[in-house]
Amino acid sequence: MLIFLRRHLKRLFMTFTISSGVGVVLLLVSNTAHALPSFSQQTGSECAACHMGSYGLNLTPFGARFKAGGFVDSDGNGTKVPLSVQLLAEQVNPARGPTQTRLSEADLYFAGRLSDHVGGIARLSRRDDGTTVKTTLENVDLRYSHDVKWGEKEAVVGLSLNNSPTVQDPVSVLPGRGFSAPSTDGTLLNPASTHHLANRVLGLTAYGLYDQTWYGELGSYRSMSVSTQDRLGFDPAGDPGKLSGTSYWRLAYMKDLKTQFFSMGLVGFNATRQLDRSGPSDGIKDIGVDLNYQYLGTRDHMVQVRYANILEKRNYGSTPASPFIPGLLASSTGRSRDQTLVLTYVYKQTYGLTVARLMGTAQEDAVRFLPYGKPDTHSTLVEASWIPFGKEDSWGAPWANLRLSAGWFRFSKFNGSSTDIFGTNFGSGAPLTNAKDLNQFSLTARVAF
Amino acid sequence: MNYALTVLALGVRGIVFGSVLVASTQPVLAAGDAVLGAKVFSAECAECHSVKEGKNKKGPTLFATLGRKAATQPGFEYSDELRRTGWTWSQEALRSYLSQPTKKANPGSKMKYEGLSDSKELEDLISYLGTCK
Repeated sequence: MLIFLRRHLKRLFMTFTISSGVGVVLLLVSNTAHALPSFSQQTGSECAACHMGSYGLNLTPFGARFKAGGFVDSDGNGTKVPLSVQLLAEQVNPARGPTQTRLSEADLYFAGRLSDHVGGIARLSRRDDGTTVKTTLENVDLRYSHDVKWGEKEAVVGLSLNNSPTVQDPVSVLPGRGFSAPSTDGTLLNPASTHHLANRVLGLTAYGLYDQTWYGELGSYRSMSVSTQDRLGFDPAGDPGKLSGTSYWRLAYMKDLKTQFFSMGLVGFNATRQLDRSGPSDGIKDIGVDLNYQYLGTRDHMVQVRYANILEKRNYGSTPASPFIPGLLASSTGRSRDQTLVLTYVYKQTYGLTVARLMGTAQEDAVRFLPYGKPDTHSTLVEASWIPFGKEDSWGAPWANLRLSAGWFRFSKFNGSSTDIFGTNFGSGAPLTNAKDLNQFSLTARVAF
Repeated sequence: MNYALTVLALGVRGIVFGSVLVASTQPVLAAGDAVLGAKVFSAECAECHSVKEGKNKKGPTLFATLGRKAATQPGFEYSDELRRTGWTWSQEALRSYLSQPTKKANPGSKMKYEGLSDSKELEDLISYLGTCK
């Protein structure tokens, strides 16, 4: 039994360390950071037109419409090469362990339009997490879009072929395009959870944006085979399992007042999952709500507040027995919840400050969530950034951009506890790991050209 | 005497006509505040338009717009609907065009804009555009 526990905790630790822990700031920020010079060259617009802070993550209403429009807007001045490169170097100072300085990521982006109606984005990423170096294909979002008249109003309708549910959403609030809560048992839609869908599935969705106000989307996904995931650079241990009967839906209302923007939305994902690819099936339903407010003003002072809350309901196909307590079975149902609350301030599109509170919680289950029966993880990110370029008159525009940042990541709870988070001191004499031991401070430089 | 009156009348007419001609062909600053207009431009226009000469974005540059014939900025592909108007961007033309949705002002236009309903901001914006030359 002790061996079972140790194996479970080791797998948990390895999963966290590799996918979320050491590179957690990287995951939360760089995984969604696009401010691509190829888009800038295509549209003639500076990075700051689409992004609060001129580099990645926070889309402006203009950026959201560019995305919903299929990435096809242009300055009408010839064909541009739809390729960009991003390099990321960082110095990571974990609370426990040695400081690491490395070129941690090199990305080649396809980002641009192929015709008046077809455009997209995809990233080939070579990432060094300090332990391994992997090349992965990520954040694929290929689109067909068309402008239509609907009565007196105009609308955009389109299709998105993508590999991460929510990455295609025009409002950067949902996990695939916003912040993700680090979690050992998060929702399927959370790219930071253990068996997430991001980059490991392929789906087609149909969407429409009516009068720049109402957004609706409906689609379905299938998980890639384990061998395909492996070929694309993803660890087979993170396989989300075999999915069937999936449906993804999204409904959002957004209002652009030029100096202010707000949106509110609902999102859902339903699937039947065989985590081990055979045997019992779990019924999974995700439903989420998101709110977003941006003060844009004259772009000198900009503020964004956004909140997302995704609840996952599970009907497990099996109820394994506890290896420790005779007669105790796992619950046949479960609930998991991911919440993110993010406040961002940007001054003159150049200086940014972000504070994010990220929480993953779940219904108690003494068998499934060892050793404390709850996988709850609470963390806070504070990040200061400087983006000297990316404006219309910037040096190198529209060919280059740079983002320098300092981030503090703190855990107040991990895996259901603030102390001895892996429960490793069961008489073994092994050193304790507390939640705060996962804290880190990092300095990051991103260059895009 | 009659001759003298006729000459005077013609002269006055000529001055008045000449003034009207000048007013209709030469850019004259609106009564708005150009400094405030720059802020309005940032919020309302800058994502799609630049005021730098030759810098087209999704929309054409608005450099030296006041007094310019519509749809004549080089290097930008305008809609046929705007080309056909034959408009010249006088203050009044800008005021009319920008104060209402473009789908009403110029149906078929590429530009998608809901219009600027605040008349003070509109005057400030027109004043600012008059300085961009």
